[in-house]
Amino acid sequence: MQSNNTLSRRRFLQSTGALSGTSLLKIGMPALAMITQAACSAKQQQAPFTTLNVAEAADLAAIAARIMPTTDTPGAADAGVVYFFDRALGDEMKSDLPAIRSGLEALNNTVAASHPGKAHFAKLSDDDQDRALAKIDGNAFFGLVWLLTMFGFFAMSRHGGNKDNVAWNLIGYPGHNGAWQAPFGYYDAEYDEGQADG
Amino acid sequence: MADSPSFEQRTPVDFAIIGSGAAGGILARELSVAGFDVVLFEQGKYRKAADFTHDEYSVLINSELLGGGTRVNGHTFRHDASEIATSPRMPAIRYAQTVGGSSVHFSANFLRLRPSDFKERSMLGPISGTNFADWPLTYEELEPYYTKVEWEMGVSGAPGPFDAPRSRPFPMPPLPIKSCGVLFEKGAKAIGLHSQVQPHAILSKPMNGRAACMQCGHCMFFGCEVNAKSSTLAAMIPLAEASGHCEIRAESAVFRIETNSAGRASEVLYYDASGKQQAQRVKAVIVSANGAESARLLLMSASDQHPDGLANSSGFVGRNLMFNAHATANAVFERPLNEFKGVQASRLVHDFYESDDKRGFYGGGGIDARALWSSTPILHALRGMPPDVRAWGKDFKDAFAYNFTRQMTLASSTTSLAMDRNNITLDPTNTDQWGRPALRATYRDHDDDLAMARFLQDRSMEILDAAGAKKAWADPVHATDGGEHLLGTCRMGDDPASSVVDRYHRSHDVKNLFMCDGGSMVTSGRGQPTMTIMALAFRAAQHIAAAARAGNI
Repeated sequence: MQSNNTLSRRRFLQSTGALSGTSLLKIGMPALAMITQAACSAKQQQAPFTTLNVAEAADLAAIAARIMPTTDTPGAADAGVVYFFDRALGDEMKSDLPAIRSGLEALNNTVAASHPGKAHFAKLSDDDQDRALAKIDGNAFFGLVWLLTMFGFFAMSRHGGNKDNVAWNLIGYPGHNGAWQAPFGYYDAEYDEGQADG
Repeated sequence: MADSPSFEQRTPVDFAIIGSGAAGGILARELSVAGFDVVLFEQGKYRKAADFTHDEYSVLINSELLGGGTRVNGHTFRHDASEIATSPRMPAIRYAQTVGGSSVHFSANFLRLRPSDFKERSMLGPISGTNFADWPLTYEELEPYYTKVEWEMGVSGAPGPFDAPRSRPFPMPPLPIKSCGVLFEKGAKAIGLHSQVQPHAILSKPMNGRAACMQCGHCMFFGCEVNAKSSTLAAMIPLAEASGHCEIRAESAVFRIETNSAGRASEVLYYDASGKQQAQRVKAVIVSANGAESARLLLMSASDQHPDGLANSSGFVGRNLMFNAHATANAVFERPLNEFKGVQASRLVHDFYESDDKRGFYGGGGIDARALWSSTPILHALRGMPPDVRAWGKDFKDAFAYNFTRQMTLASSTTSLAMDRNNITLDPTNTDQWGRPALRATYRDHDDDLAMARFLQDRSMEILDAAGAKKAWADPVHATDGGEHLLGTCRMGDDPASSVVDRYHRSHDVKNLFMCDGGSMVTSGRGQPTMTIMALAFRAAQHIAAAARAGNI
């Protein structure tokens, strides 16, 4: 698999279906624009994965995409969390890489057993993926991928995910602005000094 | 500003202060401005305002300010002595390793203790299985120093109906009310409670060249980028350096205090930034490394003369660890609160502060309204989502997107009873990045503390309901898995058999050795301890300087 490690980001996006027609229809225009932008910049970068091989990256990206699915709003795929996985598992989360690899192998063994001809989680339909994940929800491997997904989705984009702040835009978080002014929200804007004299 | 001096290692310096946090930063300023030469040791880096970021992943998850995470820090934790202590992914014992210590990254909720906190043992009688005791000083004795903290550090706030008497008003007005505070006030009033302003060690007006708060929403866990937070880094250390008598020796990890044949502390041994062993000769040592680290250092400094650890003839070094018990209740409202803006807490109630026999257990505490799990996105993912939503899939994502800006938390804080079983010891197998024995915490909350936390949580749910929450839920209360209020492990007292330092923070055993930090506290109080630690430090500095001038060290 070594040679596959150098696969470009654009080819990876294609291989996972993020650029396929059906997923484009499903995710709508804002996400489409973001993915196109991501693909363009990835095409320019031709950046390879550095820690994961392509099959691992595809499976992990697929799990993340069921944890934070792309619906009418962006999900983990649109945020490019797999690039966070790839970077973090080679760096500050390096000690978690063996558990990721063995967990993935165990998951794919059950995939192969229940879906003849399919050796990888990423090849399953969305519904079958959800069923497979429901069975491992609560185990250490799922917990670890869940953590990585949250980190990759919500961390500042400099860490590799949260592409163009899609996750922050999704939840209404404007990020790390330097300053705000009162009123901050609906209820303090409505506040009448002295309404509660307690 | 004068250049910071650099003191010769082989010439005994007047004071080595170990730890530059809430207490150490104040002691360094007070003693250096008084003309004493001070080396202020800090194991972390010398970061300043411009070095701080809003990077949640680096700061909160990778523990940037905590020294880079537990796996290099060598902290271990267990609930009971029968267990083998382990290192969780995120440190169980949380304190900042940076100049200014945890006063850099704390939320800056800033409360005085009350008169009862100092004499509750006399008021209520003994509690079996605990080391519940009175302090060797009263609120009235500490009050001038609380006032000094407010005016010298910079504290914004307004008095509440149950506050202890104060000799001067707050030096500056409260920070703006947040939506969590408005809703809390409404709910509290509806059930007959008395909401009051949450005071903060955060400037609402400029002071001493420091900017007023910019409401950036990154107080908890983060360093303040504009020096509005009244850390010792912002408020004290620049003054210490300007005195020309204080050297900040950062990235210097002390591992031993040597004593000489006369039984006096003579030398501080430490690892420098390159890991090389160094020594500083001293006339006196003040250990202000926090309620976990100070105890570890004394235990590491065992010798033939002091076989159980330095200053530990009582056996009380490391014992009586107290964290303050907590409980949280969360709610989602119809409209956006945007709790990610502004300071953490906005309003609180102290109606349940005093212990009340009618509840059936000891304790008391406060409830405050704050952003907490809705401050930043990763924290919301880890702790903020309601338990009835499966933690993945479309429903999870949709609930997250809806709730994040509409959610708040009521945080209850209560006592920790001092007990032998809760303590800091040296881990027998693990070491930290410098090779020092890992700091091992053993801790299980007293049943009364958990009962009080649940009582306050029940009241929190009533407040949220009365405030009109769309949805509310209580986080389960159980024995805590760690803490950041590190208290009680070098307690002060008049009796050398049951305390480590005297009422002026001098160790009973070693005349020129002082301990001043959260470890000095005899009881835990009912909320956030930093203001009390700072008041103790101002008071200790005055007495230590007077003793030094009188040749009595």
